[in-house]
Amino acid sequence: MDLENQKRVKDFTEQFGGENVVVVLGAAEAEAAGLAAETVTNGDPTFAGPLAGVQLGLRVFHAVEPSFKEAVDAGVFDDQIGMMEMVLDVDSIVSEMNNIRSEFSKY
Amino acid sequence: MSKRVVHYINQFFAGIGGEEKADIKPEVREGVVGPGMALNTALGQEAEIVATIICGDSYFNENLEEAKATVLDMVKKYNPDLFIAGPAFNAGRYGVACGTIATAVKEELNIPVLTGMYIENPGADMFKKHVYIIETGNSAAAMRTAVPAMSKLALKLLKGEAIGEPKEDNYISRGIRKNFFANERGSKRAVDMLLKKIKGEAFETEYPMPDFDRVEPNPAVVDLSKAKVALVTSGGIVPKHNPDKIESSSASKYGKYDISNFMELTSEDHETAHGGYDPVYANIDPDRVLPVDVLRDLEKEGKIGELHKYFYTTVGNGTSVGNSKGFAAEFAKELKADGVQAVILTST
Repeated sequence: MDLENQKRVKDFTEQFGGENVVVVLGAAEAEAAGLAAETVTNGDPTFAGPLAGVQLGLRVFHAVEPSFKEAVDAGVFDDQIGMMEMVLDVDSIVSEMNNIRSEFSKY
Repeated sequence: MSKRVVHYINQFFAGIGGEEKADIKPEVREGVVGPGMALNTALGQEAEIVATIICGDSYFNENLEEAKATVLDMVKKYNPDLFIAGPAFNAGRYGVACGTIATAVKEELNIPVLTGMYIENPGADMFKKHVYIIETGNSAAAMRTAVPAMSKLALKLLKGEAIGEPKEDNYISRGIRKNFFANERGSKRAVDMLLKKIKGEAFETEYPMPDFDRVEPNPAVVDLSKAKVALVTSGGIVPKHNPDKIESSSASKYGKYDISNFMELTSEDHETAHGGYDPVYANIDPDRVLPVDVLRDLEKEGKIGELHKYFYTTVGNGTSVGNSKGFAAEFAKELKADGVQAVILTST
């Protein structure tokens, strides 16, 4: 996750409290999604950004995960994400996200 | 008392900024910064990072002697037992900086040093003979495997333990040979290896051939005023909107574009697809990376015969040596077939 976005997530978490923040990711691969999810839970795994060593433990979901899909308007989801849902390897993304959440999420 | 470690990182890993901050001068901070946090944890009770030195990659490489002397002084003040630089992964200038400063610390202060790089980092080839370089993945995402490997070797160096073979301790082979008694004589080992090879099984050579990448210079162009000259770039210049979608890093392809109707390149018609550096000035005037304007002048003045109709382009950012060689092998044939006698290669 780039340094700017790390800073945004950190600032929002300070402003609203970690229990009120949910991060939604759109990375195209499980590995990239996992790195971003790890960044907002256990801290920046590259140790380069503002979240290096900062364990926010936020709730984090990928836009193709069923739990996110069920929570949003089906029409909008189809319009905006439907196409990507067809081409992405949803299973591996879901399993990576579950791993990260169960290991590092505090909420 | 735990051993003292000084750590060197660049502006990016210090969280100061990317390319736009690469010209910052060396500075020192007490304790850990960035990846030092992970290293310090992995080193445990036995060693502690007492200070972190930060320097911009451009600054270091453009002011080599001065930067080296300044950083050496900073390291000296902390009287460390070990010096760690990086890891630099596949960042070229960072790798060269890590290798340079680690070598200098080792030679001047006579303490153990280590760094970490991706095998294709230019710094790896330059410094693998001088210092231990842990072999890492090619991006910072590999930090989680780089840190344990680096701290393991760091602790061994600190305790003065014997360092294993490159594979055992995950460092890039330094080309050092050591005598030892083998269980079987050479002829038997050679035949065993040959049998494995014939059967198509995996075998391991006892004497890996060095991987030389030397390019013999071609003979000079006899008469430039009659030569057809082509432009080739790894600076990512493409027609506006990047029609072939050449990737901004780790390019998997190159482009071939017609410039016969261009007297120069402008922001209207061309741009750069290259990531990893500030593209503003290349986008304002793409001639800065691919000098079509100057070559047209030389053409008019009769200094060169003509500028080739096509230019070839890719993005050098993180692109593997393997891919680059593949691209060049392909288009070099076309260039030859088109009667091009000289090529000017430009980068970012």
